[in-house]
Amino acid sequence: MQEYAICVKDVYKNFNVYLDKANTIKEKLLFLSRNRKEKREVLKGINLNIKKGEAVALIGTNGSGKSTLLKLMTKILYPNSGTIEINGKLTSLLELGAGFHPDFSGRENIYFNASIFGLTKKEIDEKLNDIIEFSELKNFIDNPIRTYSSGMFMRLAFAVAINVNADILLVDEILSVGDEHFQNKCIEKMLELKQKGMTMVFVTHSMESVKKLCNRAVWLYNGEIQMDGNSDEVIKKYVEVTK
Amino acid sequence: MNEIKRIYNYRELLKTSIKKEVRSKYKNSFLGVVWSFFYPLLQIVVYAVIFSLILKNKQEHYTIFLCCGIIPWTFFSIAVNKSAFVIIENGNIIKKVYFPREIIPISVVTAETINFLISTIIIIGFVIFGGKGISKYILSYPVILIAQYLIILAISFIVSSICVYFRDLQHFIGIILQLLFYATPIVYSQNSIPTGFQWILKYNPMTYIINAYRDIFYYGQAIKIKPMMYMIFLGMVGVFLGFKLFNKLQRGFAEQL
Repeated sequence: MQEYAICVKDVYKNFNVYLDKANTIKEKLLFLSRNRKEKREVLKGINLNIKKGEAVALIGTNGSGKSTLLKLMTKILYPNSGTIEINGKLTSLLELGAGFHPDFSGRENIYFNASIFGLTKKEIDEKLNDIIEFSELKNFIDNPIRTYSSGMFMRLAFAVAINVNADILLVDEILSVGDEHFQNKCIEKMLELKQKGMTMVFVTHSMESVKKLCNRAVWLYNGEIQMDGNSDEVIKKYVEVTK
Repeated sequence: MNEIKRIYNYRELLKTSIKKEVRSKYKNSFLGVVWSFFYPLLQIVVYAVIFSLILKNKQEHYTIFLCCGIIPWTFFSIAVNKSAFVIIENGNIIKKVYFPREIIPISVVTAETINFLISTIIIIGFVIFGGKGISKYILSYPVILIAQYLIILAISFIVSSICVYFRDLQHFIGIILQLLFYATPIVYSQNSIPTGFQWILKYNPMTYIINAYRDIFYYGQAIKIKPMMYMIFLGMVGVFLGFKLFNKLQRGFAEQL
């Protein structure tokens, strides 16, 4: 079992979609019958084992359950049935800059953001220079975040996230950060981390980056795994079908 | 044990959230820290006027008497009230990042504890300048604080997680706190209550907490050990059960928010 970083076993996930949600006790009591809800099956029996050091891409059309699967892995959501086992420290980048506070300086936000990822002060101190350098913010680092352009904001957020020490990295659709120069830098950094043996799972629509980064791709369709295998083959098939 | 380690790993987050919580109260306000003195002082003045001048309460040194009750109560009620909203306020982060959710109620309660420590200066000020004098029994202050902290934390775990599922519970909490204020010996003393109503105070944990603060600050006497031990025990059991409940309910947070 230890050779796997992530073991997803027979996972089902439903969402209750409330058409008119009674969010309060008052409404629940008054309109007992009115609680119409629709059960939507988002994942239907997913089995997926990811080996340590593997870089896997999850691809599929919108609503196929990719992001839900990622959220299950990082324990933001919990499955209705089935188990998910994680071996190692896991960090997920579902959205950049979560927990950034606009009134604090870039430097202070590094501390706050990195602490959300579970780093201690000492670890952040050690990483601080790397993060600032990677973000290319230079003198702006001590300005409040609200004065940043959106590109600068993203660069800082990405710099923090990528410098978090983890064994497993989950990335959702955020590789399209900043200008081309910075994008390339991000991909290079990812490749470097991959060389170091970090396990990675990407959700992306950019087939280009899948080809660059991943050797394995998993194609999700309507909450089921449609195809799983070598990334080139899966992409070829996927592009053919979705055309 | 595993759970405690999980939270311990995120200690930096806990520290920064507490700091942010404490600072946010004073940031962007002209009077800053002065507020933490001003607000309870104003409350004391209002109640002192109503109960001693208008309603002619006979308690001697009534203002000091009042202050020993109101300040610990404010700590309790603000912490509980905040707990009702805090998960929903942090919904955005909860939906996007994993971290032990328990950090949120813990940091709210701890930040309020720090505010309470600051406002304890008011009690001490009243006691000294009101002509009562400080007694050596003040040394048992930390024991009472621990009991109160545990009880508040237990309630915070329960309230914060349930409020995610039932939003209007937030309003109930406000009303319940208001009722509880009068069901706790804050503006009156326990023995001035008719025997028929004594049972209400008896089952209210805050009664023992307020009485203990009053023992050390107002009466200058030792706290009653036995009830205080009960309170600490109750607090620990409460925290344990509250933690369990929170842990169960937090699994659905991201979907409910």
